[in-house]
Amino acid sequence: MGADLVIPALAAAFGAYFFFSIADLAWEAKANGMVIGAILLILVLVQLVRIGMRLRAGDADLGFERLISPRDALPKRIGLVLITIAFIATMHWLGVTLGMLLALFASLWILGVRSRKALVLVPLAVAACVYLLFVAALQSDIPHGPVEWLLEKLLS
Amino acid sequence: MSWEFLLDQFATQFGLWWVIWPAILLGIVVGILPGFSPQNTLIMLLPLTLSVPVERAMAFMIALYCANHLAGGIPAILVRIPGSGGAAATTLDGYPMTQKGQAQQALVLCFTASVFGGLITTLVTLALLPWLSQLGLYLRSVEMVIVMLFGLTLIAVIAAKDTLKGLIAGFFGLLIGVIGTDHIYNTPRATFGFLELYDGVPLVPALIGLFAISEALVMLEEKMIVDEAGRERALQARWSDTVEGLRMSLQKWWHIVWTAFVGLFIGIVPGAGASIASFVAYQQSRLWSKNPEAYGTGVPEGVIAPESANNGVTSGTLVPTLALGVPGGSTAAVMMIVLQYHGMVMGPRLFATDPGVAYGVFVSMAVAYIFMIFTILPLARYMSRVVLFETSYLAPIIILVTIVAAFGERQYLFDMALALVFGVIGYIAHKTSYHVTAMLIGILLGPLFEQYLVRALRLSEGNLLILFSSPLGNVLWGLLALSLVLPLWRGHRQKKPLVREEG
Repeated sequence: MGADLVIPALAAAFGAYFFFSIADLAWEAKANGMVIGAILLILVLVQLVRIGMRLRAGDADLGFERLISPRDALPKRIGLVLITIAFIATMHWLGVTLGMLLALFASLWILGVRSRKALVLVPLAVAACVYLLFVAALQSDIPHGPVEWLLEKLLS
Repeated sequence: MSWEFLLDQFATQFGLWWVIWPAILLGIVVGILPGFSPQNTLIMLLPLTLSVPVERAMAFMIALYCANHLAGGIPAILVRIPGSGGAAATTLDGYPMTQKGQAQQALVLCFTASVFGGLITTLVTLALLPWLSQLGLYLRSVEMVIVMLFGLTLIAVIAAKDTLKGLIAGFFGLLIGVIGTDHIYNTPRATFGFLELYDGVPLVPALIGLFAISEALVMLEEKMIVDEAGRERALQARWSDTVEGLRMSLQKWWHIVWTAFVGLFIGIVPGAGASIASFVAYQQSRLWSKNPEAYGTGVPEGVIAPESANNGVTSGTLVPTLALGVPGGSTAAVMMIVLQYHGMVMGPRLFATDPGVAYGVFVSMAVAYIFMIFTILPLARYMSRVVLFETSYLAPIIILVTIVAAFGERQYLFDMALALVFGVIGYIAHKTSYHVTAMLIGILLGPLFEQYLVRALRLSEGNLLILFSSPLGNVLWGLLALSLVLPLWRGHRQKKPLVREEG
């Protein structure tokens, strides 16, 4: 049941922060938040009581197994999240195309893909699609890097 | 409006097939990708739409808009990632159908419900435009608060397996939806010091995180998203599966019709939009079903209701835009800009001064839907094969591509990080049954609910009794109470025979 407490804990912490942030505001600015936040805290309290009763009856424990099971998938999940963080953090320098290529290669590798063909072709194809859609077609302001600069020079 | 005029309009719009078809294809691509809204696409294409005659510009924009509404259901069904907020409710039964090896049938249901729902409401709008345009005037802030509360009841009803968890997720989402500056004094609330949150929590990163990223993290537990039997079915997908999907749609034709009208009426209300319409239609469909407990396990009605309503909204949104000059949504606002650029004056006079444009918009919509069914229906067989990819390929592609898509709406790197944060929250919610859909409804409704509630309270100088002051509002209160009581009464009736049997 420990896993069941994570969302209520997040909600309660956020509710408390919300109340703190609106303490000095006019009633129009805090009326809605007060109503919703109060109901949320009551619901969290009810959930705590419910979990407490189940613990007392010996029907459950405070483990986090539900959140991390199956255990063999956990390193893959953590790896994917870390690669995504690195992808976002380095986008300013690498640009979206090169960043996507490297991040996808690394992701496929940690997920157990070992086929050389797949490791090269899949990231290349996806990065090319991202370049064509976001940079060439839509001309969005997404960070440009060496690949975008090079292609811009070559194509202009 | 004479028959001759109407037929002439249809002939003109069919003649614009060369404009409508590319717009449909572009709309489908944009609709499939979460983070690409039709309004952003239309804004980017403004140089094109402003430079061509207004009839062609409108035909292009309308076709793209309708195709976008339809295509959002495709990833919702195949990989449980809605292409837009309007397709979020489609995941509830669309994805379970895919897991059962019925992806092709689910896609056909989605396409037919979208097209026929959109087509029927467009034709009705065309016939009843002068009367429908008045509807928006009757719904003021008080009634809108109650309409929003309808949305809130969905949280409890959708999350019926554990209502308390559903309510916690929903109210957590509502509170997240209130982040940002308030509507009156513009003072920031719970922004964690980020300037990027002053405008509130952007919907696209929330949608991508709660659905796409969390789902990708969960799908790693299995080698494929379908089991062995589902894989076999997908491998042997034939045209007969498309025909079966069509047959299922025909059997539920009345369902398509009435849920499309739910979308139409909600679409007419400025600001309400497809997201709310599809959830309301899903909830009402479940509420009046003889088999409500089957919802969420992959029933055809669970795909038809949100998709039909989602497309019923398209014509509804344009009613206040053309008849009152009040855009029913952000895409309608972009269309209004184009019309005004071409010298059209929005409002009731438009139907007298430029009937060709005013009625032509809806004729164009009907024609776009007719073209759409022939374009997209044959693709269902091939689209359904996405489920054959292994999750070790699908998961990283989904995470990385949708993270990039999160950038699209506001062009902030911050939104990418926000999507990842929502992804982790969504993953935890997913694994502990806190219902990400309820959370998304909360985030969707939060700002709107506050806007209408504060407006109503200001009018009454803080007196809550204003919420019971309008006859229409009181009728809505009655319906709301019915929505809450009916499932309880049904549950009670179902328990009775069990008690008797045990006795």
